[in-house]
Amino acid sequence: MTGFKTMMGVSAVALAAFLAGSAAVAGTLENVKARGKLVVGVKNDYVPYGYLNDKGDVVGFEVSLAKYVAKELLGSEDKIELVPVVASNRIEFLTAGRIDVIFATLGVTADRAKVIDFTTEYVSAAGPSVLAAKEATISKWDELKGKSVCGIQGSYYNKKMTEEFGINLVAFKTQPEAYRALKDNRCIGFVFDDMTLQQKLKEPDWASYKIAVAPYEFQPMAGGLRKGDTEFHEAVDKAIGKAEAEGKLIAWETEFGMPHSDYIAARAKAASARKN
Amino acid sequence: MFGLDYSWLADPAYQQWLLTGVVNTLKLAALSSSAAILIGMLGALGLTLRIFWIDALIELFVEVFRNTPPLLQMLFAYFTLSSLGLRVTDPSTGLSVPLLSAFACAAISLSLFGGALAIEAFRSGIETMPRAIVDAARSLGYGRWARFWRIEAPIAARICLPGLTNILTNLFKTTSQASVITVPELMYYAGQIYNDTFRTLEVMILVLLIYVVLVSILTFAMARLEALMAFPGYGRGH
Repeated sequence: MTGFKTMMGVSAVALAAFLAGSAAVAGTLENVKARGKLVVGVKNDYVPYGYLNDKGDVVGFEVSLAKYVAKELLGSEDKIELVPVVASNRIEFLTAGRIDVIFATLGVTADRAKVIDFTTEYVSAAGPSVLAAKEATISKWDELKGKSVCGIQGSYYNKKMTEEFGINLVAFKTQPEAYRALKDNRCIGFVFDDMTLQQKLKEPDWASYKIAVAPYEFQPMAGGLRKGDTEFHEAVDKAIGKAEAEGKLIAWETEFGMPHSDYIAARAKAASARKN
Repeated sequence: MFGLDYSWLADPAYQQWLLTGVVNTLKLAALSSSAAILIGMLGALGLTLRIFWIDALIELFVEVFRNTPPLLQMLFAYFTLSSLGLRVTDPSTGLSVPLLSAFACAAISLSLFGGALAIEAFRSGIETMPRAIVDAARSLGYGRWARFWRIEAPIAARICLPGLTNILTNLFKTTSQASVITVPELMYYAGQIYNDTFRTLEVMILVLLIYVVLVSILTFAMARLEALMAFPGYGRGH
């Protein structure tokens, strides 16, 4: 019986410690400093934000940002642990305490704001755009009404395409099929993630194509933090602001082959104006 | 009930998609079934001629289209034929576009696939015909054509009806593969609806029920036809 009681006692202490630990989320900054390492959730399959390079290292726009934040907090960009996350588990990883911050193509939405806090927004991610031949004269979504446009089955914007723009959507299972069909002139364009299409345009095969219709929406992207973690939140925001002011984000756009966005340029300008 | 959520069915867009999907599935099934029966009859007729090169051609056709997956045939028709030069110039844009639309590719593939199976079904009907009947017709002075149309074909049709029912129900269900080449039939829209709503189970159950109902109508009609055409001493005429 004594053994059992001891066990119960130990469990109770452990439970209390656990509860105290989860109640003290406000202490992430101290934890990170005590640990000497920032644990970040990043993508490893999403060019250009977080992906594996040919050496097998995780690199990308947001990975560079995460390393910069680690350098600001701990003095070295190597004091970091990159944890690969996917869209369906990144918020659980954060709230469960397995990572300190998310830098993984996290779009800012009201639903998510109920569960986590967002850092300052640093990217405005484009929605879908339309890839078409250079000779194409269309430039607006409305002009696609009644036209056959290739797409991908299951894309979140397919309903909007057919309902709102009246597009005759020809949706394929996979991207290679859609690209093939576009080259075959089965459709006048291919509607897909702007960032992916921009990367495609760099391939020599696609030199005679262009982004004919620009994205109709942009979604701000930000880092994700546990709720109410004010001290850590301020420290991370300060680090991001410093990176913007130093023009780092513009340099990373270049480094990772992203088209330069007005959004990031404007933020860099505002950040450096604040500093001076 | 059972925690299933069918609230997405209230969305007019999804209602329209399901309706369009069902209509396109029915069109594709009706067109390819009719063509398959026609091909089956012509092929079986060709085989009764006992001419070497016609036999060889029909057998080659059957082997090619019966022994390859219909999905592959559709993909081949859709992507490969146009690359091989089966293209026309669109007068409105001046662009060179594929001659065959997705629907045409699917309808042709399914017709040929079903047709190959139907030839074999009709052939088995003709070949299993009691010799005595053929001999009786011959002794009554029927010529080759008259014998085929008035004696052999009507009896063979009755014998091969159950086999034909199998072929047509399979053909009906195979139309779902046309979603891969973007024919907007029932499965094409079902996939889009559960991607939008995340109600995978609910959409699957509904689509399953729609297929059960549609195919049941077909099998019921075929069973009625079998009963109507039954003749004494064979099949349902027992």
